[in-house]
Amino acid sequence: MRLRASIAFAVAFAVALGSVSCADPTHDNAVDALGGEAPGVRPGPTHRPGQPCLTCHGGSGPGSPDFSVAGTVYSARRQGVAVSGAAIQIEDAVGTRATLFSNQVGNFYTTPDTFTPVYPFQVTVVLGNLKEQMQTHVGRSGSCADCHTDPPNQTSPGVVFISPPQ
Amino acid sequence: MTRLPFPMAFAALSALSALLSAACADVPADGRIGITAPNGSEAAFGPVAAYLGERCGTLDCHGQRARNLQIYSCEGLRLSQVDVPICSRNQGGKPTTPEEHQATYRSLVGLEPTVMSAVVVDHGEHPEWLTFVRKARGLESHKGGVLITPGDDQDVCITSWLAGQTNLTACAAAFGYPKFPAPPTTQ
Repeated sequence: MRLRASIAFAVAFAVALGSVSCADPTHDNAVDALGGEAPGVRPGPTHRPGQPCLTCHGGSGPGSPDFSVAGTVYSARRQGVAVSGAAIQIEDAVGTRATLFSNQVGNFYTTPDTFTPVYPFQVTVVLGNLKEQMQTHVGRSGSCADCHTDPPNQTSPGVVFISPPQ
Repeated sequence: MTRLPFPMAFAALSALSALLSAACADVPADGRIGITAPNGSEAAFGPVAAYLGERCGTLDCHGQRARNLQIYSCEGLRLSQVDVPICSRNQGGKPTTPEEHQATYRSLVGLEPTVMSAVVVDHGEHPEWLTFVRKARGLESHKGGVLITPGDDQDVCITSWLAGQTNLTACAAAFGYPKFPAPPTTQ
């Protein structure tokens, strides 16, 4: 009887320890801070434009699939609208290139199976004859909205944008 | 209740009073811990700061407050709350300021002040004593990877400053990093 109780206690302790060691409150808080889905928008390629995609799709869940690079492109630094059909050209530190295209809500993404950049990488956004090269390189974050948030402030240059001809 | 004889009580109170006053009075109000710091002038450190801002100070790396080593520049973290991380005035930004160079200097020197002191006293003979040099050289785990090689322009820019004679040529060349492979030429 005493042995059975000891085993039960050991199992319960191990489970408790395991759940504690797997929890990442920082990640959980970051996910929670994104809030719920917009009304009428189902999870998928067009959800949550402008949010830091890799918070959920970066390997720690809860989103699936995982992305290696993802973001949203707008028509202006502030109060712009989504730009579809923009080409996001990426060149990484070893010269590997990838081109992503923005969808109808401006979202673009790629998965680690398709392209895993060697950091740092540089980015150019192309729309027709327009071309905008990012002023700095990307050092370690594949989630554009980790830095590109609205509005521009001390720690953000504003959203990723390219201004289509009027 | 037994009472202490007056002389003993007086002595005990005096000793306690002296101890308390000694504990409080020996710390000067403007006390500082001194270190031997590398040259922080704009002439000596400005080019190093400019390079660090370009190479290491992007918003997703050391251009954010969450890092122990904070690098201020127009490409990342701004010193003034009214400035944005954009260098071009045409786009609503402004170039890195000398004050931001100084903020980077304080962050860098304050990271390991006693080690920095030892490196400077040693005339920069052992820059690898500093964690930031070891990380950049890949001698220690670094999320940003191996960024510099001993002897390259970036390394010389940093180590010459630590040695007391900033190599401006190396810093100017280092400003062009990271270098990306040239695009393939079409025949």
